[in-house]
Amino acid sequence: MISNRISQSLNAHLATLRAHFKIIFTYRGMMLIQAVRLILLPLVLAAAWLSIQKTAENPYSDADYLLYYLLVPVILNLTDSRLVFRFPMAVRDGSLSRELLKPFPPLSGYALESIANNLIQLIYLLPFTLLAGYAISDRLQLGHLNLQLLLYTLLAILLGGLVRMLISGSISLVGFWLEDVTTLNLILNGGIWALLGGMIVPVATFPQHIRCIAEMLPYRYMLSFPIEIVTGRLSQAQILQGFAVCLFWSLLFALIMRFIWKRGLKVYAAYGG
Amino acid sequence: MVVKMRQAAIILKLWKASMMQAMEYRGSFAFSIVANFFDFIFGFLQYMVFFTAAQSIAGWNSDQMLVLYGVFMLVFALQFIFLYPNLVAMGDMVNSGNLDLLLTKPVNAQLILSFRRISFEELGSISTALVLLGWLALKGVIQLTLQSVALFLVSILASMLLIYCLFLLLMCLAVFLERLDNMAQLMWSMFSLCRYPVDVYPSRLRFMFFSFLPVAYIASVPAAALLGTASAGQIMTGMIIALTATFATTLLWRRTIRAYTSAGG
Repeated sequence: MISNRISQSLNAHLATLRAHFKIIFTYRGMMLIQAVRLILLPLVLAAAWLSIQKTAENPYSDADYLLYYLLVPVILNLTDSRLVFRFPMAVRDGSLSRELLKPFPPLSGYALESIANNLIQLIYLLPFTLLAGYAISDRLQLGHLNLQLLLYTLLAILLGGLVRMLISGSISLVGFWLEDVTTLNLILNGGIWALLGGMIVPVATFPQHIRCIAEMLPYRYMLSFPIEIVTGRLSQAQILQGFAVCLFWSLLFALIMRFIWKRGLKVYAAYGG
Repeated sequence: MVVKMRQAAIILKLWKASMMQAMEYRGSFAFSIVANFFDFIFGFLQYMVFFTAAQSIAGWNSDQMLVLYGVFMLVFALQFIFLYPNLVAMGDMVNSGNLDLLLTKPVNAQLILSFRRISFEELGSISTALVLLGWLALKGVIQLTLQSVALFLVSILASMLLIYCLFLLLMCLAVFLERLDNMAQLMWSMFSLCRYPVDVYPSRLRFMFFSFLPVAYIASVPAAALLGTASAGQIMTGMIIALTATFATTLLWRRTIRAYTSAGG
């Protein structure tokens, strides 16, 4: 009986994912523009980092920076979550009311939409990354890569995506009370993420005291951490410790999200439509 | 002349209307000014964080980079006040068929579509940018001579013209593709090219940025003018490129509108 229900739910999720794939594919022109957008800033930052005069304690070489910013768009895209834009929109335009009537959890629907979007975006992003990688292939160091590192990286990306989705989800659910959560998102998700997550400065190159803070916050795990694993500079213990921190934040925000969802649904008055 | 006055009067009326619209939601308006202030602070912190792992970048030290940031934010905020709301509205216009309606009206469509709306939400960052530049002038980082200020003003004008060209190109793209959300994001990512001095790019790319893709003139050159390191010749070249580009994109816009066969409805 229970296994029946699980398989039913699984089927519903898979069907929703397939539907989102099809919907998103119809707007694929946007994907190309989005790919350019994803690549541009990392490109600028890579150029910036290659022309700096480094501080003495900065451990990264030019090759490290190149590999780092080559991978940034890919990880950025894979761990991205659109929940924070999608959900408040659904509250405002009233489509949430419709979703709530369906025998399918609305949040799962939005999460699946986000995942489908990221996966399709990847198809449009990888050619650029491969091309850029080929162009700088003589300056990349990939000799240390092995299957174990790649598996760790994959796991780190999954966890990073999860924690980002849960944080974005928690912020977006505040949309039950606030009409506009973009400022909250800007501070909690965008701003601190850009500063301490590894976008502007790779976390490993921070001075010791800033690095410690960055490693304790969840933001590093959404971007810098998977790339740090690929570069092979982390020991097994450091990797496992990273997973533990990331899991801790995921669990915390899963609980927060659940709490806000239950409270929010009670105040939701279903306007718009 | 009379026609031009009439167009200006129409635009002023439209601005008044969009101000009134914004004031209707006064709380949200105040909120977005605060949000933009935070945006500015985070941008500022980014440079601070950057310089924890770098000493100087392509010959620019952290003070000079702050001048660049101040100029960048100034240009960006001006763009946000005058052009951005129109760009956002444009995607809708094409999609809903309202563009057709506007094209039938006896007004200059390019002018009205470009300056129909205005948004004062970026007042937060524009004032903060001015405070930052003022502080850098007091500190002596910015050269305050008649020449440098004059050069700066000319280069800012060229910068605004170039941004307008980019804006117009995106408008053409919106008409051409008949659907373009996230245009604002596209504009934003173009701006990311200007956040760091053009000197960081490899020489071939730098040449491009000074000629065919005149990114250099948007923030780097005006900042260099304030620092007293830009030559008058360079700034005049920028102005000439900006005027040529404005002319060319206007032509392109006219051709696009002529080829437009209506969409949506």
